[in-house]
Amino acid sequence: MSKKIVIGGNDAVAYAVKQSYVDVVSAYPITPQTSIIEKIAYFISKGEMETRFIKVESEHSAMAAAMGASIAGSRVFTATSSQGLLLMHEVLHWASGARLPIVMANANRSVAPPWSIWAEQTDSLAQRDTGWIQLYAANSQEAYDFLFLAFRTAERVRIPAMVCMDGFLVTHTKEPVEIFEDEIEDFIKIKEQREVLDIDNPKAYGALAFPKDYMPIKLEQNRAVFSALEAFNEMSDKFSDITGRKYNEVDVYGEDDAKVAIVTMGSIAETAHMAVDVLNDMSIKSKLVKINMFRPFPKKALEKALKNVEHIVVLDRNISHGKGGIIKDEVAGSLGLNNVIGYVCGLGGYDVTEQDMVKAVTDVIDGKVKEDSYMWGEE
Amino acid sequence: MKEIGLHGRGGQGIVLSGEMLANVYFYEGYDVQFMPSYGAERRGSPSNAYVRVEKGKKIYNRYTVDVPDMVVVFNTSLLENIKVKENGVVLLNVSGSIQKAKTDARIFVVDANTIALSLNLGTPAMPIINTALLGAFCKVAGDYSFDNLANVISEKIGKNADVNIEAAKLAFDRVREL
Repeated sequence: MSKKIVIGGNDAVAYAVKQSYVDVVSAYPITPQTSIIEKIAYFISKGEMETRFIKVESEHSAMAAAMGASIAGSRVFTATSSQGLLLMHEVLHWASGARLPIVMANANRSVAPPWSIWAEQTDSLAQRDTGWIQLYAANSQEAYDFLFLAFRTAERVRIPAMVCMDGFLVTHTKEPVEIFEDEIEDFIKIKEQREVLDIDNPKAYGALAFPKDYMPIKLEQNRAVFSALEAFNEMSDKFSDITGRKYNEVDVYGEDDAKVAIVTMGSIAETAHMAVDVLNDMSIKSKLVKINMFRPFPKKALEKALKNVEHIVVLDRNISHGKGGIIKDEVAGSLGLNNVIGYVCGLGGYDVTEQDMVKAVTDVIDGKVKEDSYMWGEE
Repeated sequence: MKEIGLHGRGGQGIVLSGEMLANVYFYEGYDVQFMPSYGAERRGSPSNAYVRVEKGKKIYNRYTVDVPDMVVVFNTSLLENIKVKENGVVLLNVSGSIQKAKTDARIFVVDANTIALSLNLGTPAMPIINTALLGAFCKVAGDYSFDNLANVISEKIGKNADVNIEAAKLAFDRVREL
């Protein structure tokens, strides 16, 4: 029987890793990720996990070691944040290109300078094009649940997956989380067959490919990443049969015939539930469109959720300098919409409240804000 | 929803007391959220933690608590920088005498340092007062039973739980309103 305990996102991830038959963890500590790997190390030291922990000297090496273990057939987990994720960048491409289903947790943290340790998604969105599946958890329960879904989805399509959660606002915010006893066993112990390194039949990884070979390989990789949408939904259905919690690549909250939609992902989506309630109380029919899966991009689900919506307001806790919010750009570009206004907000952990969101939405409806803007409460 | 602020200094167990308080409310059937405030932590520097509690409704707020409804203040030296809602509740750890200023807040006091030191919890320079203050807060808030608090202390503290529960009980009995 599962039970509810009061834990944070980092603890939740560590519990999920403990229950996921992970063979190897290779990681380097960084705030606010550290307590994930501390807790895993603790579980291993107590003999509660049969997992090899590889201590490394940097995040670049953490991902390199994860690759080696994954090529050898292991189920592998790592975790990082911000500057650590940026240092991994090159190896992220190597891991996805080698089609290794590594699962990583990323504590979303702002990028220096100025030095900052608080929530922002610029770090993981800067890895958008590395060929990794990206899931964004809005609370500790989702962080826990997404880990199981990430392993099964990644292994089905042989593409690595990262589960992202906002630093402190999810990683360290303790709340009731339902933890499995053994009911998840049958789901998570399945490890799909894949080709692994075999010393009797040696093979090379990452060899030189001439132009006529390179492009088809990359197109096949692209198809595999796209296929993660279907795999995620299949796993999510199975997961829901066990837990009663169903996740879609995009979840919607609020009025079906809303004239306003708030689109966002991560912890801001939690607060946005309250903004939607306030707007609906003001007789502004609204809904929250919460992106759970950012890669592969959930185009069809977004089209469905945003159909017939008059005003789309995207809240981006990230910034692409010289352009604006990354989610806004992807939503408007992919769907070919011209009724989308993006707000860059909450950088470096700056608070975004439901009142801020209500003002952002009403400013758009009232025509006070006609182009992409930002939220900043200080004078 | 109620927002509770815990204000002390690094090393006083602010984070642990916030976690214990969240668990106590959780066992009373509340939805809870415990949000420590992180920055440049050092022993002796101000340390804050916040607990949100709500009965019968999920808590969705994902931003820091600005002005809490109730605060627990571990050191009076911190008072200048602490905010509380109008008609809010303040629980102070006070050694010696103190006078109430003109305020709408209800002020409660307890000498948690003396209680802790009488039970050999910590040292005169750094008495361990977090469990005593949770005992006093149990009386002040009236939201949770003392038994529930005692169970959470046992669960979170382990082998020194008994003496901490005793500290909590003494503070529960001795806390008074100014």
